[in-house]
This record gives sequence, C-alpha cells and structure tokens, in this order.
Amino acid sequence: MRQLCPALLLSLLSLCVFPPCAAASASAAADYHEQLVLRPLPLSALLASFNFRSNTTVSEFESGNFRFFPRSLGQILQHAGTRELHLRFSLGRWDAESWGSRPWDGAREGGTGVELWAWLDADTDQEADHKWLTLTNALSGLFCASLNFIDGTRTTRPVMSFEPEGDHPNTSAHSMQLLYGVLPHEVVCTENLTPFLKLLPCKGKAGIATLLDGHKLFDASFQSMAIDIRPVCPPGGECVLQIEQTIDMVLDIDRSKRPRDNPIPRSLGGHELLCDTSKPYHSHDTCFPADQDANQDWSLSQIFGKSMKGTCPLADPTVPPVCLQVPESRAVYTIDGAVEIKSRDSRCFQISPESDLELLLPPPGDEAQDGAAADILPPGTPPLYAERSFTGYGQERGGVQTILRNPSPDTEVEFVYMESLPWFMRIYLHTMEARIAGHPAPSPDNHPLIQQVYYRPALDRARGTQLEVRMRIPPAATVFLTYDFEKSILRYTEYPPDANRGFDVAAAVITILDPQRNGSGRFAAYTIRTTSLLCSLPTPDFSMPYNVIIFTSTAVALAFGGMFNIMVRRFVAADEGSEGGLGALRGKLLGRLGAVAGRFKGNQ
Amino acid sequence: MDGGKVTQGRTAGLYVGAAVLRLAIFTLLPGLPDLLTGRVEISTPVTSFKRLQEGLFLYNHNVSPYDGGVYHQAPLFLPLFSLLPSFSNLPIFTYLLYIAVDLLSASALWKIADSGEAGSAALFTSPRRDKRWSGYVIAAVFLFNPFTLATCIGRSTSVFTTCAILHAIAKAVSGAPFGALVALSFATYLSLYPLLLLPPLALLCYDRQRPERATKSAAKFTSICASVVAGVLGVLFGMSYLITDSWEFLVSTYGIQLTLSDLTPNVGLWWYFFIEMFDSFRAFFLGVFWLHLSCYVGGLTLRIRRQPLVVLTLLLGIFAIFKPYPSISDTSLFLALVPLYRHVFPLMRYTFLAASVIAYASCLGPAFYYLWIYAGSGNANFFYAVTLVWNLGLSLLVCDLMFAVLRDEWEVERPEMAGKEIRQI
Repeated sequence: MRQLCPALLLSLLSLCVFPPCAAASASAAADYHEQLVLRPLPLSALLASFNFRSNTTVSEFESGNFRFFPRSLGQILQHAGTRELHLRFSLGRWDAESWGSRPWDGAREGGTGVELWAWLDADTDQEADHKWLTLTNALSGLFCASLNFIDGTRTTRPVMSFEPEGDHPNTSAHSMQLLYGVLPHEVVCTENLTPFLKLLPCKGKAGIATLLDGHKLFDASFQSMAIDIRPVCPPGGECVLQIEQTIDMVLDIDRSKRPRDNPIPRSLGGHELLCDTSKPYHSHDTCFPADQDANQDWSLSQIFGKSMKGTCPLADPTVPPVCLQVPESRAVYTIDGAVEIKSRDSRCFQISPESDLELLLPPPGDEAQDGAAADILPPGTPPLYAERSFTGYGQERGGVQTILRNPSPDTEVEFVYMESLPWFMRIYLHTMEARIAGHPAPSPDNHPLIQQVYYRPALDRARGTQLEVRMRIPPAATVFLTYDFEKSILRYTEYPPDANRGFDVAAAVITILDPQRNGSGRFAAYTIRTTSLLCSLPTPDFSMPYNVIIFTSTAVALAFGGMFNIMVRRFVAADEGSEGGLGALRGKLLGRLGAVAGRFKGNQ
Repeated sequence: MDGGKVTQGRTAGLYVGAAVLRLAIFTLLPGLPDLLTGRVEISTPVTSFKRLQEGLFLYNHNVSPYDGGVYHQAPLFLPLFSLLPSFSNLPIFTYLLYIAVDLLSASALWKIADSGEAGSAALFTSPRRDKRWSGYVIAAVFLFNPFTLATCIGRSTSVFTTCAILHAIAKAVSGAPFGALVALSFATYLSLYPLLLLPPLALLCYDRQRPERATKSAAKFTSICASVVAGVLGVLFGMSYLITDSWEFLVSTYGIQLTLSDLTPNVGLWWYFFIEMFDSFRAFFLGVFWLHLSCYVGGLTLRIRRQPLVVLTLLLGIFAIFKPYPSISDTSLFLALVPLYRHVFPLMRYTFLAASVIAYASCLGPAFYYLWIYAGSGNANFFYAVTLVWNLGLSLLVCDLMFAVLRDEWEVERPEMAGKEIRQI
C-alpha cells in the first residue's frame, strides 16, 4: 500500500484533477515552491523574476519515482548519465549601466540564444561525447530548440570557468566531464516556453506561472529562461535532486501597458509630456523629456495582460507567491484577502489558493518626487562592467575588443574571461593584449593583468576556438582586452541561406571569482555574459557554381591543351606536309565518298 | 645588356644594392611589411608570416601549433625562428634573415646562369647559345623584380623554398648531385610540391656528373637519387617528430595541400573552384587537380629530355599556375629562370601579349579584391576573373617558352628553317 500510494498520487498529479488531494500531498512533502519577485528598475523598466524549485530524493529518482520532478526530463538525464545540467534560453541584453547588478548575481543567465552545459558521467572523452550527443538530441526534442546542432564545432570543455553547483560525492567527481555548448543564432520563442511550462507541476494553469505569456515574455527588453538540475546534499540529510526553473524578464512598462489590439505607440499630447524642468531652455513651448522613473504606475494585469489565477496547490504554502521590491513608502493596492508580509526591501503577498491576485501601484505622490528616486530601490553596482565589440572593417580580418571596467574604488576584481568562437574566426593569440586605459604601454610587468591563459585552437570544420583568460583588474581601472582574427571563406554549401546577414558569435562568459572562497564556498561571485556578435564573412557568388566549374575547367583545358599541342605535334615549314584544317577534312571526306561510290559501282 | 665584364666590385655592388633597398623599405616604410603580409597575393595559408608568428607563439607556450587550423608550415621553422631574437622586440634580425635568403637565391641563380646550361646542355647545344645574359643581369632581374621584392618584404616563407630549389638546380649544373638532392629534399620538406621536380632534376644531375665519379647505369643512378631524397626527408621528418613530439604535423602541413581545407583566396585556380564545388564531387576533383598537376612531369621530362633545365623551368611555371596555394612568389621564381633563355626570346610569339596580360592582372587584382572584400561593390567573381586572366597570361608565357625551346631544338635538325614560317601538324 505504501508503494502504491505515491504512484497513484503521481498519476493524479499529472492529470491535475483533484487539487485537494494534491494539496494534501504537497503539504506533506513541501518539496515544491514557486515565487515571483517584481522589482521596478530605472527608466520605467520592471524586472520580473519567476522561480520554481522542486526536489526529489536521489533514491526515489533512481527508482523511477519522480514525484515533482518532470518525468520527461528525468528519463533523459538517466539515459544520458547526466549529473548536473544547466540550460539557458535568452534574448536581449541586460543593460547594466542603467539597471545595475543582475538578478541571481548573473548565475541564472545565459548568452543570447541557447546555452547548455552539463557534467556527464563518463570515463573517456569518447564516452562523454557520445552521451553529450544523446543529451543534446533528446533535449532538442523536448524543448523544440535546435540543440541537436550543438556538434563538435560548438562544444567546448571549459577548464576554469565553471564548477559544479551541486554536491557531488568525491568518488564520482573524477569521472565527471563538463561539456559546454552554445547556439547563439537560436531565436528563443513561444515554442520553447510551452515545454518549459509543461515541466512545472501546475503546468502554467495555476499560480504565478499563469502570468507567463509568450506575447509578453518575448516582447521583453531582456529575458532569460533557465533550467538548473543539481544534486543537493543537506548536511545530515538525504541527498536530493533539485530542479530549479527560473525566468527573468525585464519589461518596458510603457510598452507593456499598450493595449494589445492597438499596439502602435502614439505621440503624447503636450499636456501629457513629462518635461525635465531643470533644463535652462525649458519653457511652456520647449520640453526635454524626463526619465520615466517618476511615472511608474502599473498593475499586474496591465503588465502581464492578465491577473494571477490563484496559487499552485502543490506549492509550499509558507512561501509567499509574489514579492515586490519597492521602498516601504510606496503605496501598493491589492485585492481583498491578500496578506502583505513586509521585510527589508521586500513586500510579499500571500493569497488564498482560489482567489486571483491583482497588484496595483499608483503613480507616486508628490512627496515622493521630492526625495529623488524614492519610488524605486536604487540599483546595485555590479562588480564589473563588460562590453565586447568588433574592431576593423572589411571581410578579411578584424579584431575583438572587450572593455572591462572595475567600478569599485578600492577592491581589485579577479575573473575568468571565456570565449568559445566558431572555427571560421581564426584568432591570432600572439596579438592578444590587455592594457589599462590611459596607459600607453601594455600592462606593467609588476602587475600583470593577464594571470593565466587556457587556449585550445580551432580545427577547421572540427572544433571551435576555446579561450579562457584569468585576469585581475586593479580598482577603478578600465582594461581593454584585444586580439586579432581572420575571417575564413567557406565552401558555398556551408553558408546559411541568409549568408550576408553574418554569423553569430557566442557571448563571452565572464566569471568573477569569489575572493572569500574557502574549500566548499561558492566559486563564482558573479557572472556576466556579454552580448553576442555578428561576424560577416566573405561570400562567394552562390548563383554560379556551374559557371565557376566551367570557367576554371576551360582555363585548365586551355593551358593543358596548348602545352599538349606543342609537345606532341611535329614542326614543319609552313608550305610542307599535308594540308590541315578544313581543307584536309574536305579532302578526306571526298576521298571516302569516292571510295564508297567506287565500291558501289564495282558491286553492280 | 650582355653584362660586360663582371668584377668583384660590381658583384658586391649588386648584392649590397639589393640588400640596402630591402632594408630601406623595411625601416623607412614600417607599415608596408605588415600590409604586404596581409595580402592574399603574397601570403597563402601555407606561407604566411603572420601564421608563422602564431605558430611560433603557440610553440613557445607549449601548445602544439599543429593542433589548430592556423599554422600549416614545416616544423623546422619553429626552432629556426625561436633562435632569432623575438620579432616583436628586434625585427631587424628577421629582416636580415629574409634579405640573406634572397641574396643566397640570387647567387645560386648567378651560378646557374654562368654555367651556360640553358644554352648548351650535355646532350644539346643551341645554335643561338652565344646570345645570352650574364649572371649579373639575371641575378639583378631576380633581385629587383617587384614580385621578389614584395615577397621578401611580405616575409612569406616561400622564399626558403625558392632558395632551396635554386640551390638544388645550381648544385646539379655544377656536378654535385648529392647537394642538389639534399636541397631538393629541403624544398620538398618545406612545401611538398618540389618533389615533382625530382625526375628532371635527377636527369640534370645525371647529365652533369663529374666524369671521374660518374655512375653510368641510369637505373643505379635513379635508385641512388630516390634513396638520397627519401633518406634526407626521413631525417627531416624524424627531426620534426622530435621537435613536435607527434606526427600531427604531417596532416597539418601536407594534408592541407592535398585536401585544400583552407579556402583563403589566392592567385591560383583552386580556391574558388573548391568553394563552388558540390560536396559529393570534391574528393574526385581534388584527385583530378593533383593528377593534372603531376601529369606534366612525365610528359615534359620525356619530350625535352635533352634539356632538363628547360623542363625544370617550365614545371616551375606550371606549378605557379596550378599548385594548390600559389602566390606571386612562385611566379617570381619562374620569372627568375626565364631570362636564362635569352637566346630563344626571338622565337617566342606572344611575349607582348603575355607581358601585358600579367601586368594587367597585377594591377587589377588588388583593385578587384578591394572591391569585393572592403568596398562591397563587387563580389567574389571580380577577383576570380582576375585570377583567371592572370593564370591564362602565365600559361601563355609557359606555352610560348615551350614552343620557342622546341623550335630551337628542331632547328638543329633543319638549320635552313631559321627565320621561316612554320606550323605544327
């Protein structure tokens, strides 16, 4: 009976027909929780962080009893021998200059496109490659993404940039292999969101997941969907396998508030404009538009297009489903029945499972306008700003320049800069140089910026470049990291249909190392992804393979024919020897005809 | 232009002049070397100096340069250039090395010219042999040829191959078969294609053996040649293996020439053909192109058996057109040997046409490449068309030289035909 009951419960859960029964089991296990954190950002942006987390014990997982863990994903992990998995679907750019430090310290963020890294249980490289192929193909089907295109040329094995997040027993640590693949060209869209929501116990039918709508999510200025699976061993307890699904999105409030049936922005009337009155030229007929911080009034249904439909009955009821990070002075209206729990910088709302939640933030009052930015929390300062771009022009060669700025006035920052570049960008490592802005010479010798380099050069059509650089930047310094590369020209079948658009180059991953790290502490204090780049390669003319084959063959034939002619034919004086050309042919033909005619006559 | 009396002073003057000109370009125009190094007409994937620097950097940092797609040159370059003071700090030593190599090539060329082999080989003496240029003129033509200069300034590693080939020929005409074969093995080791020069070079050595140490049996001589080349190549490969600790360099250095995996544009015919080639026919046409390249060796060696130096010259011209990664350096080697045949110049029919086509392509090539890659107002066909013209011009020159030499041979049998209209049947 004890064995029957969970199985029965699970089947009921997956159908989700008896919420009371499910709720009973959830409260017994309390292994699933979900939370939405809303944080208004400067320039009328709003960060919405969805977090869904569930655990299942490793022994139950291994016996095929998945509980809240999605079965489809669990079976893939078991089949591919995956110990830890991280999958990211991202779009847009986190604007660190105005939005400040990243949610989750960048740990749940990916570069544009799809990023996947996993620790696989394998003794040899071949075994790891084989399992990786299985994993990417299975995930490709599950998430409707082109993950199966992560082949050898897009897979690297980072050495310094990643460490397992979970607790792995020491016995298995040496047989784990890390593989990292990235698809910068992948366009993340609704077809990836649907399978993502299906992994949730409530499938997007109840709880905060009801707010997730493809129209809003993929209209955001920045969005990142993350799936992290890792084993967690609490001290003294049984090890559990944890799946954490995260969605971070930065919505433009003005854009989101546009009605869906009339999304074209219209210019505001003169009386609706918000003007910066501090400008000297401000008068009744000139207006410099003010930053939109001051006008952050919104409601949940305006932003997401609908209100939240109850709570997920399977979720841990002690965790409030929605939290808002605004100053305490800000007025917030909710529906009746919602209980507000205030803590420092965070105001959470607890509702009953059946009622809908609606939040409304009115425009800040006049008193808030006096104290600057009192209506939002000030954004935090990230430990490092990074910006990467191409230098040079033309389709033959170029350079990559990364500008790294340490904003801290007194602490130096140490990090690993990782690039995984496609093979057709041939980089010249001997040109790599790091210099501090304002210093003409490369880094002074007593304080080398580049501490360590791990480089695995690209092999044509087989492997991409992997470059990891451990660097240290002194306080309040800006460093330029540059290197040159050459663009190779490909076979015409290797170009995509939109060849002149260019080729996407994956984001660089910057892992800031935790200075206070001790034996088991956190490895990465903060993670940054730069934007991806678009590299345009020289293109051949796609329309004329036949012509080129014919022209080149003609040139070869002309040269060969000319030489062959000269070599094999005899020299004679112009008036010697038998006649050549048409005359000879005519003579031969006439002779033949005469012979045939003669034979014919003879026969008669 | 017959050279007149060549004194010690004039010799030294020529070499010093060439060296000073190169040094002046290196030092007075410091941007030019890097500009020329980046030109596709000068640097190919298998000879580029920038790639050499990258290979050297990886080699000095204990990363195998052959485990990557950038460095495709012979392993012995790595210790050679490591011994030189670092290029980034003291580039002058690298410049001096390149200048010295050019001067060595010129001195080999001078020896070839002075031997008179072009006009009077062991088995054939041209009736026109008296009309020739001295070694001084021929060395000067080589040293001040703009193609040679550009190659030297661009620091393409093909100058080493050029030097080795010229020395192989110089040793062969001066009756030192062993030295010739060793030099040819070096050339082969550096860039593979000179192996195809072995049959005519062996013939040249055979014809020019010193009487006191001559091997009369052709079969024996052939086997000695083959074993010397194989032995020297074996030693070179062994040394390379010791340097790099793996055989990866074979695939990376010679495999790329056989499979053309790097399709960087150059002045040859291969790159665009194999960009546009259908995948299923790629292997077939690689085979065809290599077969085509090597088919000339047998034919020419047999047909012009009496003048092996002519065969070598014509083959170098053909290689400058049809080898997988040709550059203007190969053309400059061919053009260095052409003036040896001053005596047959009157028999050539299309010199003006060939010269104008080559000049036209040399001017238009960089312009069209710019239009394609930088301005974006042209496409790949522009540059491709110019390479076609360039190669047709070169092949016209090769054909014409072949015609002139053969007619010169024929006129020995028919002395009365000199200066008369002829035709071929």
